[in-house]
Amino acid sequence: MFPIVAHEELAPKVHRMSVKAPIVAEKSKPGQFVILIVDEKGERVPFTISGWDASKGTVDFVYIEVGKTTCRLGSLKPGDQLAHFVGPLGKPAEIDHYGHVLAVASGYGASAILPVLKALKEKENRITTILQAPDRERAFGCAELEEVSDRLVLAIGTPGEDMTVSATRLLRKLLANHPQNPIHRVIVMGSLCLMRVISEMTRPYAIKTMVHLTPLMVDGTGMCGACRLSVKGNNRFACVHGPEFDGHEVDGWDVLMARRCTYADESVLQQSFQCRGCSQW
Amino acid sequence: KGRMNLNRVEMPKQEPEDRRRNFDEVATGYTYEMAMEEASRCIQCKKRNCQQGCPVNIDIPDFIKHLQDGNIEAASRVLKAKTSLPGICGRVCPQELQCENSCTLNKKGAPVAIGRLERFIADWERSQGAVSTPEIAPSTGKCVAVVGTGPSGLTVASDLAIRGHQVTMFEALHVAGGVLMYGIPEFRLPKEIVQREVQYVASLGVDIQLDTVIGINYSLDELLNTKYHAVYLATGAGLPQFLRVPGENLNMVYSANEFLTRTNLMKAYLYPEYATPVKMGKKVAVIGGGNVAMDSARCAVRLGAQEVYVVYRRTRQEMPARLEEVENAEEEGIHFHFLCNPTGFISDGRNNVSAMELIRMKLGEPDASGRRRPVPIEGSEYTMDVDTVIVSLGTSPNPLISSTTPDLETSRWGTVVTDERGKTSKARVWAGGDIVSGGATVISAMGEGRRAASAMHEFLSQ
Ligand SMILES: Cc1cc2nc3c(=O)[nH]c(=O)nc-3n(C[C@H](O)[C@H](O)[C@H](O)COP(=O)(O)OP(=O)(O)OC[C@H]3O[C@@H](n4cnc5c(N)ncnc54)[C@H](O)[C@@H]3O)c2cc1C
Ligand SMILES: Cc1cc2nc3c(=O)[nH]c(=O)nc-3n(C[C@H](O)[C@H](O)[C@H](O)COP(=O)(O)OP(=O)(O)OC[C@H]3O[C@@H](n4cnc5c(N)ncnc54)[C@H](O)[C@@H]3O)c2cc1C
Ligand code: SF4
Ligand code: SF4
Ligand code: FES
Ligand SMILES: [Mg+2]
Repeated sequence: MFPIVAHEELAPKVHRMSVKAPIVAEKSKPGQFVILIVDEKGERVPFTISGWDASKGTVDFVYIEVGKTTCRLGSLKPGDQLAHFVGPLGKPAEIDHYGHVLAVASGYGASAILPVLKALKEKENRITTILQAPDRERAFGCAELEEVSDRLVLAIGTPGEDMTVSATRLLRKLLANHPQNPIHRVIVMGSLCLMRVISEMTRPYAIKTMVHLTPLMVDGTGMCGACRLSVKGNNRFACVHGPEFDGHEVDGWDVLMARRCTYADESVLQQSFQCRGCSQW
Repeated sequence: KGRMNLNRVEMPKQEPEDRRRNFDEVATGYTYEMAMEEASRCIQCKKRNCQQGCPVNIDIPDFIKHLQDGNIEAASRVLKAKTSLPGICGRVCPQELQCENSCTLNKKGAPVAIGRLERFIADWERSQGAVSTPEIAPSTGKCVAVVGTGPSGLTVASDLAIRGHQVTMFEALHVAGGVLMYGIPEFRLPKEIVQREVQYVASLGVDIQLDTVIGINYSLDELLNTKYHAVYLATGAGLPQFLRVPGENLNMVYSANEFLTRTNLMKAYLYPEYATPVKMGKKVAVIGGGNVAMDSARCAVRLGAQEVYVVYRRTRQEMPARLEEVENAEEEGIHFHFLCNPTGFISDGRNNVSAMELIRMKLGEPDASGRRRPVPIEGSEYTMDVDTVIVSLGTSPNPLISSTTPDLETSRWGTVVTDERGKTSKARVWAGGDIVSGGATVISAMGEGRRAASAMHEFLSQ
C-alpha cells in the first residue's frame, strides 16, 4: 500500500497529491509518469510526475477531477492509502542546452512541466513560458513557473472556434519575432489539440517542438498496445517510446484524439476534455 | 488385465446458451464417482508411455493407481512431486498433444483423461482446505531474485525456496500470475485458483514485490550487485504484434493483450463494480488462430457481441489453438473464416473501424515450421463490415530488460538465449518460459523453470 502524505487543492477541481513510494522517487526523471490504482476494484490511471523527493521517498503529481477515478482521488485524505503505484514509466524528457526554450502549458501541464523546466534551467537555457488557462481562477502554479522561467506570460481565455486561444496568439507574435529573438526549442504539455495546433504553427519555422502525448493506457509497460500511435509511419507505444515525441513527426493526430476519447461517453465531467476536431464528440 | 474400456468419462459443461452469458467456468469438473470411473480405465502400463509425453515427467501411472485405490491424498503427493500447479495444468495443458497423446489407449482413440483427473485431485485438495506444505530445507543464506510471476517464475521460486534459498519475486503488474491472470479468461481458469497457487508460493517464504519493474526500478545489474547471488528471468513474451496494414490504429481495433487485460485482469466484465471499462461492438472480427484468438472471441461473445468471426489465414488443420477450445468456441456460436487475411481497416468517417478489407488465401509450399505457407490469391479482395477488431497474432518478448542489459545475449526475435538448463550468457543469470521460447505453454514454462532451478541450486551450493 502507498500512503498519501499530502493532498492540497491548487484551484477548483485541481489537486496536488504526494505519495510515499521510495522506489519510484529513487529513479524519477523529468517528464516521466506513474500509474496508480486507488483500490482493488480500481482502474490503472496514469499521471505525470510533478515533483519528487528521493530522500523522503515521496512522489507528487497534480490532477484534475474529470471523471470517476479522479473524483475518487479528490475524496482521499492524507493518511489514506493507494492500493498500487508504479513508476517511473516512460522515457524521460530530452534535456540539453538548446538556448532559448519556449514552454507552453495548460491544465495539469502547468505543474507537470515543472521538473522538465527545472532541468532545462540547470542546463542554462533561457526559458519563456506561456501558461494557458480558461480564467484567472484556474491559472494555478504561476509562482512555481515564474521561479523556473526567465519570463512567464499568462494566456487567459477559452478557445475560439478556430482554436485561437490566447496561447496561440501569443505564440504567433513570438514566431513573428523569431529571426530577431530566435526560439530554439518548444515544449508543450497540455491538451492534445493545443499540442497539435502548436506543432502545426512551428512546423514552417522548423523549430523542434516536443509534445507530451496522453493516449489511453492500461499497463504502461509496453504490453497492451492501447497507447500506440503513428510516428513517421512507425507504430510507437507512448508508454515506452514516449510520452515525449517530436510533434512534427507525429502523424495521425485525428486517430490519436479519437482513440483517447473511446470511453468519453462513460464519463461524468467530460466537457473539459473536449478537443476541437475530436470525432468522438 | 480385463478388456480395455474405451468409454472416456465426459466432463460436465455449462450449456452453450447459458455460458455465452457468463464468465463462470465452462467445464465444471468431475465428481468423485466420475473420477473413480475414469481412473479405473487406466491399465497401468509397464512402459509408462503417458509419463514420457508429459513435459515435466509426472508419474502418471502412480497417481492414477492411488486414485484407483481411493487414496486422493497420496495421488496429490505424486503430482506435487513434479508440478506445483496441478489445478492449472489440469485445465490448460494441451493434453491431447502431450500426456494423453502418448497414452496407450490413445491408439484406440480414447486415452485416459489424465488432465481431468489431475484437475479433480487439485480441486479435491482445495475443497479439503488443507494444503500440504513440503518441508523447507534450512536456510542457505543465499538470495535469489525471480523476475516475473508467471508459471515459470512461480516454479523456480517454489523450487528454490524449498531448498532453503531466500527468494524475492518482482512483478511489474499489480497482481502476480502472469498470463494466467491477465490473458487466460476466468471461464477457462478461475483466477481464485491462480491466486491460491501464488499464495502457496508465498507460504514457502517467498517475498513477492508487486508494482516493481525490473529495467526501471532496478536494473538487472543492480540486482546482481546488491543482495542477489543469482537471478531468474521469466518475464514472458508480452509485446503484442500487429498486422501493419492501413487503418490498424482506428478506434475499436484492439490488440488481444489490451482486450484480454481489460476483460480478465481488470475485470471489465464486472464494470462498473470494477472501474475499468471495455467497449464492445456488435460485429467483431478476431484475427488469428491460436489460443489467444479463441479466448478473445469467447470473451467478446460474453461481453454482448452479436456476431463474432475468427479470421485465420490458413485452414482449420493448421490452427494452433487447442481443439477443445475451438469446439467450445463453435458451440458458443463463433463463426470461422479460413484462408483469408485482412489488408486494411476502413473508418466510419469518425475514426472508428467500420469495415475490414480482406484477401483470400491458398496454401502453398510448406515453410520452415512444416506448415503450408498461406499465399494471397490475386484479385480476390473483398470487404466485411465490422465495428470491433481484436488483433490476436501472437507476441514477442518485451525489450525492457534486454535493452537495459547490453551483455545479455538475445536472438533476432528478441528472445533470451540460454543453454539447455536455462543459463544465459550473463554470469549468475538464468532464464526460462516464454522469454526464451518466444511463446509456448504453461507446462513448458514450468518445465524450463524446474530445470533452471536445479542448475541454480547446484551453482548456489558450490
Ligand atoms: C502519460 C499520461 C500522463 C498523464 N498525466 C496527467 C496528470 O499529470 N494530471 C492529470 O490530471 N491527468 C493526467 N493524465 C490523464 C489522466 O490519466 C486522466 O485524466 C484520468 O485517467 C481520468 O480518469 P477518470 O476516471 O477520472 O476519468 P474518465 O472519465 O475515466 O476519463 C476521462 C478522460 O480521461 C482520459 N483517460 C481515462 N482513462 C485513461 C487512461 N487509463 N489512460 C489515459 N487517459 C485516460 C480519457 O481521455 C477520458 O476520456 C495523463 C495521461 C497520460 C496517458
Ligand atoms: C490468452 C492466452 C491464452 C493461453 N492459453 C494457453 C493454454 O490454454 N494452455 C497453455 O499451456 N498455454 C497457454 N498460453 C501460453 C501460456 O500462458 C504462456 O506460455 C505462459 O504463461 C508463459 O509463462 P511465463 O512464466 O514464461 O511468462 P508469463 O506468464 O508471461 O509471465 C511473465 C510475467 O512477468 C512480468 N514481467 C514482464 N516484464 C517484467 C519486468 N521488466 N519486471 C517485472 N516483471 C515483469 C509480467 O507482467 C508477467 O506477469 C496462453 C497465452 C495467452 C496469452
Ligand atoms: S502436467 Fe500437463 S502434460 Fe503433464 S500430465 Fe499433467 S496435464 Fe498431462
Ligand atoms: S499410458 Fe494410459 S493407460 Fe497406460 S498407464 Fe499411462 S494413463 Fe494409464
Ligand atoms: S499502456 Fe499498454 S502498451 Fe502502453
Ligand atoms: Mg476512468
